[in-house]
Amino acid sequence: MPHLAVNDVCAKYGSLEVLHGIGFEVDRGEVVSLVGPSGSGKSTVLRALVGLTPVTSGHVEVDGKKIDYGSSQAVKAARDRMAIVFQQYNLFQNMNVMRNVTLAPIKIKGRPKAQVEAKAIELLDLVGLSEKRDAYPDQLSGGQQQRVAIARALALEPEILLLDEVTSALDPELVNEVLDTIRRLAREGMTMILVSHEMSFVREVSSKVIFMDDGKVVESGPPAEIFDTPKSERARDFFGKILRH
Amino acid sequence: MDYNFQFNVIWRNFDTLLDGAWLTFQLGVFAFWGGALLGLVGAALKTYGPGPIRFLVDVYVVFMTNTPALIQVYFLYFGLPEVGIRWSSEACLLIGLTLNAGAYLTMIMRAGFLSVRKSEMEAGEALGMSLVQQIRYIIVPHIAKSIYPALANFFIVILVMGTSVGALIGVDELTGTAINLSTVNYRWLEYFTVIAGMYVVLTFIASIGLALLGRWAFRVKARIF
Repeated sequence: MPHLAVNDVCAKYGSLEVLHGIGFEVDRGEVVSLVGPSGSGKSTVLRALVGLTPVTSGHVEVDGKKIDYGSSQAVKAARDRMAIVFQQYNLFQNMNVMRNVTLAPIKIKGRPKAQVEAKAIELLDLVGLSEKRDAYPDQLSGGQQQRVAIARALALEPEILLLDEVTSALDPELVNEVLDTIRRLAREGMTMILVSHEMSFVREVSSKVIFMDDGKVVESGPPAEIFDTPKSERARDFFGKILRH
Repeated sequence: MDYNFQFNVIWRNFDTLLDGAWLTFQLGVFAFWGGALLGLVGAALKTYGPGPIRFLVDVYVVFMTNTPALIQVYFLYFGLPEVGIRWSSEACLLIGLTLNAGAYLTMIMRAGFLSVRKSEMEAGEALGMSLVQQIRYIIVPHIAKSIYPALANFFIVILVMGTSVGALIGVDELTGTAINLSTVNYRWLEYFTVIAGMYVVLTFIASIGLALLGRWAFRVKARIF
């Protein structure tokens, strides 16, 4: 049984359907990357998985347990299992690093404060920011903010981490510090789904790459296969354009 | 100028004036915080409520901001007894000022609701926060910080202009006390000169208090003057 199975999920932004029946599977400890042209719905897949974009039909299964996004309980169940990190970090500007990381586990999940704080210190250490505990987001670089955002997502102890173009807003020299954090998580066996334009990174960390176009999965497979010998015309065309440079 | 200022009589009654200043300060603080609570609820309903509720908030804001606070307080003090509700003059003043402040603060806080970064709200939602929790943990700190100067100014407005309305319904706040005392010995100019100074001191103390609170709680570097 796959850890996560996405079955025929459709999602809408207002009246515009952006996902037309997406399906894929993710095994425990696997890193799966979504690639494809802009507007193909990659980010929407991640947003739909945590209930930020309404799922109009289809469902997902986590360890065989069905989540249909039809009720607030279902959305909550999804958010209990999956946490998302955004392109623009979206840290709470009025809270310091420690509070950004600990707020949700303490106030929303009601976990014991001491335990959450100990865990937060561990996570900040993991992302290399233990000395920035008391800093506010506007005192940090983009790369540091993004690593805090990763720590914040991990503090919820999700089973699956969703990373939505987490390096796209960063200066080139800050990209690596975030990628190193993701590599480290991958080594530790964290199940992750990432949307990224860093193709060489995707190739390096992913066990599976899913190529999407126009709200559908066009093809998927191991990175070497998708990048080097894509079967579809659309994927050949896309990789031909971006990998030539 | 022929007028011969005689302040002696004022100093003899200074304790009474201090009592008035203390009541003014308390009325200002309670009306402000009561109004802030109303404003927060009003702004939340105006932003996230269903159509009819938003309309009701609009009616409340338009009614309370487009009529003088004095009329609103008069209405409570002289109007309510007609239907059998009798509140003390202090209670009428406090309730009137709170309702009035709530309307202004609804508008001020609405600006805060509209200017909060949507992405932060979304992050809160993804972390499992309900709308009320998003308001509490994201919007309120944002409002406190981003429109702090407007809030602090409004507090001063209530403290000075709002509370002095009480003089007209017999509340012994600073202005009312001065009027009462001066009817005894006709030293209007002396009394009003002294309480003008006391208002300045009162707002100065309040400003410093607010600036310190802002700096400590919200990292706001508020200017006092």
